Amino acid sequence: MQRRDFFKKMALAGAAIPVLSLPIQPKPTADASPLLVTGVGEDYPQLLKKVLAPLGGIGAFVKKGYKVVIKPNIGWDRNVEQGACTHPLVVRALAEMALAAGAAKVMVFDRTCNEERRCYQNSGIEPELKKVNDSRLVVEHIDERKFVPIEIKKGKKLSKWGFYKDVLEADCYINVPVAKHHRLSGLTLGLKNIMGIIGGNRSTIHFNLGANLADLNTVLPAHLTIIDATRILLRNGPQGGRVSDVTVLHRLIASTDIVAADAYATTLFDMKPDALESTRLAYEMGLGQMDLDKVKMVTV
Amino acid sequence: MNAEKKKRYGVKLRWMRRISQLAFLAVFLVLFRLTDYSGSDEIPYAVNLFFRWDPLVAAAVTLAVKSFIALLAPALIIVLLTVVFGRVFCGWICPLGTLIDASDKLFKAKKNHFPKLRPVKYYLLAVILITSLLGIQLVGLFDPFSILVRGLTVVVDPVLNLVTRGGFDWVYLNAPAWLSNLTEPVYTVLKESLLPFKQTFFATTLITAMLFFGILLMAKLGKRFWCRNFCPLGALLALLSRFSIWRRFPAAACKNCSHCAAFCRMDAFEPEKGLLMAEECNTCQDCVADCQNQPARFRFSLPKQRTAFDLKRRHLLGVSLAAVSLPLLTRVGLNKKSPNPFLLRPPGTASEEEFQKLCVRCGECMKVCIKNALQPTLTEAGLEGMFTPRLVPRIGYCEYACNLCGQVCPTGAIAKLSVEEKKKFVIGLAVFDKNRCIPHAQNRSCIVCEEHCPLDEKAILARDVEVINQQGDKVVIQLPYVIEDRCIGCGICENVCPLPGDAGIRVMRHQNLEPGIGGGEDGYG
Repeated sequence: MQRRDFFKKMALAGAAIPVLSLPIQPKPTADASPLLVTGVGEDYPQLLKKVLAPLGGIGAFVKKGYKVVIKPNIGWDRNVEQGACTHPLVVRALAEMALAAGAAKVMVFDRTCNEERRCYQNSGIEPELKKVNDSRLVVEHIDERKFVPIEIKKGKKLSKWGFYKDVLEADCYINVPVAKHHRLSGLTLGLKNIMGIIGGNRSTIHFNLGANLADLNTVLPAHLTIIDATRILLRNGPQGGRVSDVTVLHRLIASTDIVAADAYATTLFDMKPDALESTRLAYEMGLGQMDLDKVKMVTV
Repeated sequence: MNAEKKKRYGVKLRWMRRISQLAFLAVFLVLFRLTDYSGSDEIPYAVNLFFRWDPLVAAAVTLAVKSFIALLAPALIIVLLTVVFGRVFCGWICPLGTLIDASDKLFKAKKNHFPKLRPVKYYLLAVILITSLLGIQLVGLFDPFSILVRGLTVVVDPVLNLVTRGGFDWVYLNAPAWLSNLTEPVYTVLKESLLPFKQTFFATTLITAMLFFGILLMAKLGKRFWCRNFCPLGALLALLSRFSIWRRFPAAACKNCSHCAAFCRMDAFEPEKGLLMAEECNTCQDCVADCQNQPARFRFSLPKQRTAFDLKRRHLLGVSLAAVSLPLLTRVGLNKKSPNPFLLRPPGTASEEEFQKLCVRCGECMKVCIKNALQPTLTEAGLEGMFTPRLVPRIGYCEYACNLCGQVCPTGAIAKLSVEEKKKFVIGLAVFDKNRCIPHAQNRSCIVCEEHCPLDEKAILARDVEVINQQGDKVVIQLPYVIEDRCIGCGICENVCPLPGDAGIRVMRHQNLEPGIGGGEDGYG
């Protein structure tokens, strides 16, 4: 081959790179009266088991050979007491349950706000997961190559955004946010946790945050949302810093309905279930139920 | 000694030197890679070792601040080593010297005299020491480790990463899955060992590359061209090695052969009597290994025949006078009257003047900065401040609980603050540009800056204000403002501001002004 031909062919090959299009798994459709389980307990692994039991246990979500994504909030370089990230014991217990249910792979990651290594380390999540010692459990930093542009067909504000490939391909995506204060959105809960699996410049979608969050969640409704309210950050969110802004509740909330979970968690902050714009808009778009009277509530 | 034995001895000596050179180069590179966050707040290794035992850095910094710097005490080790063994540091240890040897091999460097250039290194040394005494720090421009670490940090590391990752990324994104399944595990191993954690980006890449590779390309002009003619550390060690007691015997090249003199990489045999000049010799042992007729050796002996010093008094005087006048120029430079308002220094730095005296432009802080926030200056701090670190928040912010730059700074120019002290250290002050800030200028809520402000009591707050938005509707938006007493100038607000180009909030230089002190023009009659 002539050198010139080689370069020509290289250029052609480069131009012909197809835009990746991924099959998106069908996700459970919203139920008009979804089940929501909540419970209080100081032994978090035990509490998690109890909370999941009415929903069918982890086995209802994780089948043998599944690829599972667990998405906690690891956004900030803060420790467990400061309540800015999901509790490491909750994440670990969930990972262990998924592994025990026969998952082929369990991935844990978040697109952090502070420096990623510090967040993974100081949140306590990476050190806690290292103790699990199972090669199927993968704790990775975000790989920038894995953001796939996805058309947001139901979107009202956003028409296209990058989503993380591993989540798109997962058989089971479990959303594990921590409940905390956030000045702009009011609170950050399940719907906002999607920020950690999207690409692009996330600052630029803060103008119509509620609407944008609802749009993004139409692409990837989580199979299961577990809101960590073991301790909640009441002020100075989303990263806090002062332990005095944190209240310990020892509570977990679980539902297949992300809107219901958010609506209920909102009440923990002495706010009405529909206080958050994202909750209202997601409800209007049919992503779930925010009327807690219509939610089947189980307390364990 | 029979010829066979002598030959073996020579081979052994040469390999000992090569192994030593490669070992120190390896240590240097490993320390370079370890200059990073490793999962704990403390870096447990003395990653800045090569600067701390560098006598040139020690001399220049001590003269500049006129006090003893404990951090630089290890320099005495190299001083002692040189007084005993001569410039063994240059021949057996210096990583830049090793790279130059390799480059010389690669380019098949010829021995080349340029004897007139040889004293330049002494003149450079004189300029560096005189100016540092007068408060200008030029050592970083010429110190071999500064050149090396800066070159690695700003140029080699990012380019290596770009090329390697680029290759793997291409395979990952374009090649069939079976191929990327093969390459990805290799990539993972490389990511965890050889490659930096993230792609970095730096100012001054071109000029830094030219300096770094320029030195290696000097191989085209002759062997060890930089070391013989320009290296000011070499010059300092040369002065010390005039007293060294590990000397070659015989002291001169044989009249009938002169093989050693002809091939000496340092051109260290003076032309008249063929005497080996101790201050020029880097004790590489080539002249022993290659000795053609008699058993040459290095052994302990008091120096008997001192060779003439390769310096012209008149030149030295001229250069020194020039060096004295340099500080006069910088003192009347515009920077002194009105410093760049966006020149932010790393956390833990004293006044700009003190900082510039202490900083040896080694680039360690830029290497370790986990947000790629510290960037080399070109002219922002005046020409005399070239390559000093500055925080550029739009590139990266200062991570709130990170104090790594202070841990790796070899001279204390960036003080080693505890994490708690660091969290309180004021780098600058965030100021809203209300003509650009989205809530202020466009009447829409945003407050990404408030969200990211890391302080326990946020320095950015917002108040609810009713405005008429661009659609003509009356809406309540959150209007952010800065509480000046709280702001530490970490720059995360400027970093995350969603505006394109300049942010709507910018960190301005902390002026270190004491109210009510000092005089000068202030505009009041």
